[in-house]
Amino acid sequence: MQWANIRLFAVHFWRNATAPKSFYLLFLIFILLTAYSAVSGIKNHNTQNNIRQEHQVKARQSWEANPDKHPHRMAHFGTFAFRIHPTLGIFDYGLESFTGSTVFLEAHRQNSVNFSEATFSTGMLRFGELSLALLLQLVLPLVLFFTGFSSVAKDKQNGTLKILLSQGATWKEILFGKSIGLFAISLLFFIPILLVVIITLLLFEPSELNDFRWLRLFIIGISYLIFLFMISSITVIVSAISNAPKNALLRLLGIWLLLVILLPKSAQAMGNYWFPTPSKLAFQSAIEKEVIQKGDSHNPNDPHYNHLRDSVLTVHNVSKVTDLPFNYSGFVMREGEKITATLYRKHQAKLVNIYKNQNDITRFSSFVNPFTAIKLISMTMSGTDFSSYMDFQDKADDYRYQLAQTMNELQMEYISPKKESGSEGKSHVVEHEHWEDFQDFRHKPIAFTSSVKEAFPALLSILFWAVGTIFLILFISKRAKAI
Amino acid sequence: MMLYKLFLQQCIRSKEVWISLVLITLLGIVGIVIGNKHLERQQDTIAEVKTYQERHFDRQVSLHNDDLGLLLYYANFAHINNLNPLAGLSIGQSDVHPTVKRITIKTFEAQKYDTDLVNPMNLQSGNLDLSFVIIYLFPLLVIVLTFNAVSEETETGTWRLVAIQSKSKLRFIISKLLIRLMLLYVILIFLFFVAKLVLNLSLDIHFFWILGLSILYILFWFTVSFFIISFKKSSGFNALLLLSVWLVLLILVPAGINAYVTAKYPVPEALSTAIAQRDGYHVKWDTDKRATIEKFYQHYPQFKKYGYPTDGFNWLWYYAMQQMGDDDSEKEQNAFSEKIRLRENKSVQIASVIPNMHLQLTFNQLAGTSMSQQLEYLNATDEFHEKLRLFFYPKIFEGQLANTMDWSQFVPEYYKTKITLKPIKTIIPLIIASIVMIILSIPMIKRL
Repeated sequence: MQWANIRLFAVHFWRNATAPKSFYLLFLIFILLTAYSAVSGIKNHNTQNNIRQEHQVKARQSWEANPDKHPHRMAHFGTFAFRIHPTLGIFDYGLESFTGSTVFLEAHRQNSVNFSEATFSTGMLRFGELSLALLLQLVLPLVLFFTGFSSVAKDKQNGTLKILLSQGATWKEILFGKSIGLFAISLLFFIPILLVVIITLLLFEPSELNDFRWLRLFIIGISYLIFLFMISSITVIVSAISNAPKNALLRLLGIWLLLVILLPKSAQAMGNYWFPTPSKLAFQSAIEKEVIQKGDSHNPNDPHYNHLRDSVLTVHNVSKVTDLPFNYSGFVMREGEKITATLYRKHQAKLVNIYKNQNDITRFSSFVNPFTAIKLISMTMSGTDFSSYMDFQDKADDYRYQLAQTMNELQMEYISPKKESGSEGKSHVVEHEHWEDFQDFRHKPIAFTSSVKEAFPALLSILFWAVGTIFLILFISKRAKAI
Repeated sequence: MMLYKLFLQQCIRSKEVWISLVLITLLGIVGIVIGNKHLERQQDTIAEVKTYQERHFDRQVSLHNDDLGLLLYYANFAHINNLNPLAGLSIGQSDVHPTVKRITIKTFEAQKYDTDLVNPMNLQSGNLDLSFVIIYLFPLLVIVLTFNAVSEETETGTWRLVAIQSKSKLRFIISKLLIRLMLLYVILIFLFFVAKLVLNLSLDIHFFWILGLSILYILFWFTVSFFIISFKKSSGFNALLLLSVWLVLLILVPAGINAYVTAKYPVPEALSTAIAQRDGYHVKWDTDKRATIEKFYQHYPQFKKYGYPTDGFNWLWYYAMQQMGDDDSEKEQNAFSEKIRLRENKSVQIASVIPNMHLQLTFNQLAGTSMSQQLEYLNATDEFHEKLRLFFYPKIFEGQLANTMDWSQFVPEYYKTKITLKPIKTIIPLIIASIVMIILSIPMIKRL
């Protein structure tokens, strides 16, 4: 195998492919699509984040505007957590349109995250979303198939291949050369998109000091390069094993349909079929049941709380809760919040596990489907995947817990022990300065390491695909026939 | 007749054709099974809700018999959007939106948009239901069956024979296409027959509309294919062009339009409403009680007789505050629904010129799983909520005991989606699209 020959084939392929006018038309259309997706991606990112930040401020203002009041009222006044759209979400929308943006955080209750784009949308959203990532994952492979399907098959058909081989070129040189040529063409399409993303990253201030955005983009970039090389090689290989260009094209299109449309959809459908999500009622009543068993603070005769009261009274050596050095009702609520939050988290973890089982079929299908591999890497590293959303939910719920417990502690400390119950009125109140002291919720994006961990199987599979492609070329170059 | 028989044999001779016919039938059946699972899950949830609700009230009554206000703070009432079995054909938006809502008589806005437990990955990947098979995969099959209908004759050299022997070349091509069309219709009707049995569909007008529209949609794709093969280019060229049309119509155009609608109509109103309803209720804890109650009586003058209890905590004042969560956020709510309406109208308008989008929205409409029907269900839930309020308010204000009421009357209430069928509006876009394709082909036919 001689490098000079490989280069010769690559350059020759490039010249041939870029010669017809139709290629420039295709390129132009792709660039226009890139421009459209980039503009709508950036616009959407800006609008959504402006809306969310504006409302975060608005919600905070009304929180801080509260006068002196009973802290438990503040625990119910609650606040909102708005999910911030990650900058790389401009590149890959991921699950962004299907995950809620807003959650109301209050004591005792874990509310659902509401208002996803999908809930505002007609069935249209299901056809797909035009993002830069979609262009790279779906459209660019097709462009490569169209550009490269005849690369070897045509030479075979018109007999050039026999001449080439008889003049000393080897199959390896031909396959590697043409793959590299096609890969170079794919870069022509990929680089403008990469530049757009780099420019937007430079323009948008990072929300966190160290959000690893460049490292994320680096991983995304490398993965796409591997993916595009693989697609280029597969195009050339399929062209080499087909006896006519037409057959090569049909095969490639069949592969595209299978791997892009049918397989991913079936994988997720299987997951959903085999691991059914419980209904919301079943989920909530399971928690409710365990709360009642463990101790129901709303039940005046609950044994758990009666026992708790007796032991607290003994420790402080008093006979009535009103004689305690702190507000007992705040103490009970702190205990209640702890119990319900623990049980909620236990069940939530179980639920997330069911979701993970559903998604695992997709995740592990990346070992048979490189399109799934790149899709998962792309959205996970962009911070718009399932794990990023769960990370937001967890962070919002942690904040909710902090809020409820801080208010309970304020109640224990500042509300008279004589005030046994109720939170109404102006007599038993806490100064409003405390509301400002309690920091607002700020959505921190998912940690880089968590994203890498999540994307690990997909990253592994893309490496596996890279090595596999090389082996496949070597294997085919031994088997391929010139006629 | 003999000719058609030969055409049929010619068509199904190829292995690829057989494989794709079997594949689409299997996928269609898988789609029906998935749709059936969706319906079954809803029925399971309904059964759970039913048994839960009985026990729920028993427990609440035993805990809070002498405090009806507190009882209703906790009590949930189910309002169910009972899915039409046709939803098994077109799951539509019924996976994003909850179809079983359990609400309390407190602020409705705070509960209205609560979502079910859903895995966003499932939502994104979309449902593999029969509507997907019809809208995405049947066109592909049309392409596989027809792309070389003429070119195979020219490529194998039989076209000249045909040209000499048959009376009309056009009729020859049309008969050839017709036999393929019939083949697809047989599969389509078979799938609908399976769907009828599996989903236990009643053979009502909506069922036949869905079937009829599918038939028209497939016809539309045949006209597209006819247009392209009438150029008499090579098989490879035809396949390439037809697949490009498929890609543009089914993926790129809808995705582009979606990006346009999303960018044109963002919905900040949703978040504003959420904050407004929270503030509408919660700030009332600190404002003048009498003013709150007065405002409440402006809304419900019939309760004026309960007076103005402003001393300490009382349920009249509490529920008046809760009411304010709804009443004081009305402006934001209206802006929100207006925005959603705008979006829906725009989508429907654009979709009417894109056959596949039009078909998806119409399927959802006929199956009762469209966005607008979801909004109607939410509005009906609002009415249900109002009914509960009006029933319980006087009882709470009078301090009635919970056990004086018959709680067994509060069984889950069912809502039946209204399906409005606009025959002309539904059918016209598909017919026009097909006619346009035929008209476009006329100059080509002359040169056959």
